[in-house]
Amino acid sequence: MEFSPLSSALASKSYERIADICDDIMLQVAAEGVSFQEDWPYAIHLLGHIYAGDINSMRFLWKSMPSAVKENNPEVQAAWRIGQKLWVRDYVGVYEAIRGFNWSQEAQGLVAAFSDHYTKKMFQLLQSAYSTISIQDTSLFLNMNEDDVKNYVQQQGWIVDPASQMITVKKRPIVTEQKLNPSKLHSLTEYVFHLEH
Amino acid sequence: MEVLVVNIQGLSTNPGDLPNLQNILKQAHDSLHAESIRLLPLLDMLDPSLHSLGFLYILEACTSSALSKEQASAVVLPTARFMNSCSKEQIQLAPEKFISVCKRFKDYVMQLEAPMRGVAPMLAAIRKIQSSSEHLTPLHPEFLVLCLLSKCYKAGLSILDEDIFEVDQPKDLLLYCYYGGMICIGQKHFRKALELLHNVVTAPTSVITAIAVEAYKKYILVSLIHNGQFSTSLPKYTSSVAQRNLKNICQPYIELANSYTTGKIADFESVAQKHREKFDNDNNLGLVKQAISSMYKRNIQRLTQTYLTLSLQDIANSVQLNSAKEAEMHVLQMIQDGEIFATINQKDGMVSFLEDPEQYKSCGMIERIDSSIQRIMALSRKLTTMNENISCDPMYLAKVGRERQRFDFDDFDPVPQRFNI
Repeated sequence: MEFSPLSSALASKSYERIADICDDIMLQVAAEGVSFQEDWPYAIHLLGHIYAGDINSMRFLWKSMPSAVKENNPEVQAAWRIGQKLWVRDYVGVYEAIRGFNWSQEAQGLVAAFSDHYTKKMFQLLQSAYSTISIQDTSLFLNMNEDDVKNYVQQQGWIVDPASQMITVKKRPIVTEQKLNPSKLHSLTEYVFHLEH
Repeated sequence: MEVLVVNIQGLSTNPGDLPNLQNILKQAHDSLHAESIRLLPLLDMLDPSLHSLGFLYILEACTSSALSKEQASAVVLPTARFMNSCSKEQIQLAPEKFISVCKRFKDYVMQLEAPMRGVAPMLAAIRKIQSSSEHLTPLHPEFLVLCLLSKCYKAGLSILDEDIFEVDQPKDLLLYCYYGGMICIGQKHFRKALELLHNVVTAPTSVITAIAVEAYKKYILVSLIHNGQFSTSLPKYTSSVAQRNLKNICQPYIELANSYTTGKIADFESVAQKHREKFDNDNNLGLVKQAISSMYKRNIQRLTQTYLTLSLQDIANSVQLNSAKEAEMHVLQMIQDGEIFATINQKDGMVSFLEDPEQYKSCGMIERIDSSIQRIMALSRKLTTMNENISCDPMYLAKVGRERQRFDFDDFDPVPQRFNI
């Protein structure tokens, strides 16, 4: 099985491409009739889908795996646990699933990158969804202890009130580009022409 | 047979020789079919990409009679490689044979219980036989079935993104839309699933097909999940036989849809329980469960129409959740999915509902509207061309001529049925 595209993507940290590369290789190998399930890097494949945010494809991959492979491969099971937590939206559970396993060298980079990416996304979610939130919940959602979390959010401009143990969220002002392009005038002419005829 | 192989090898390189080669192959048709699977070793002497036409005829003869599991196993790999590497120009000279070979290939991989083996070759085969990306071939539904069975849903999506304007057989289109709908449901692209299932249900037909019935059942459930409502009246352009019969055949689903509109989760769950076995037999139990979860979302969304702010505890009570914390998690998930605009105030335990901040003024939004308008203009141009083509069609003119009313005296010239001069 030809895995060099996968190894080079892992080496260059282009994690968003891992899932597509794995899918392509898997279909090609299957078309050749090779029995690949024993040696297939399912853990990396699952993690690739998780990184790309495609939980549906991750679930289907899990369903298509033979049960022998599932049972004998603890790293695959650990990757599945992360996916499960994402599926049921157990926001805090995702971190526990990441921490709860000693990842192999191959998977470590991918898992660490996903963890950072996920923390940033959680921060953006908290910013858009909350006006005030307890310090305790924030530290759970961002996977930091309470002191680290206080420093982190204060750097982003949020206000910490130690008396009530609450944080006031500062919204990011939404800047949308509104410049108009002269080529739009050309498009508008096309539309009017079309409507007239 | 050796003579045949020599002919194939000799006449395949020059495109001008191909019609001659095809005649030779057609003449050999019966003797090839008599040999059937015994011809398999001949394929080793041919190159699937250079000698595609000859390879196709021999392969078609190999697979023409029923094969045992071992024989099928032997022929699957050469067929897969052929589908990947054959020459498009050569196989388009014998499209029906190519399609037969591909369909039998699908049967063999199913027999071997390895549908994933067929996904990549079938996709390659579609590209070879298609006259353009707007052409729906009989191989499209075969490909989608293989994707569904091997759980390679993402691979199926690539085909579904293409707009279809040309169809060979109506049954292909119905199956394509039905399987395509199932793939979209699996990937949670509910809007596209509704579109595809809608096409199956409203397709012109004079009989009710099983495909239309199954599509209608899924259509009802997806409509509840995605739109939060379902209307039992079908559009005017639906066939009359579908309008009269579909609702009666799918009675449990209609009952479920009616109980959804009350917003009472307990009632909906009891109807779901009552017909549980039927839903399970139809493989729709997963969709029913998704419909139940979507009710919580609808009920919370309904609250935004009445309240500007509401406490988490009140939300939990009104939507029948167990605690304020559960309500908070539901609202957080809906904010993440863009289904609601709100901010949660943990200090006071309140949620403030907001207006959609989209003002439709940004460059990004302009790009989206622009591309939609361009697509509609292209569609409009296609329709105009189709209209022009039909108005010149002799069968249409004959029908119009027969039914034409004679109102004016000036209008007395009949439409020519035949040009007799």
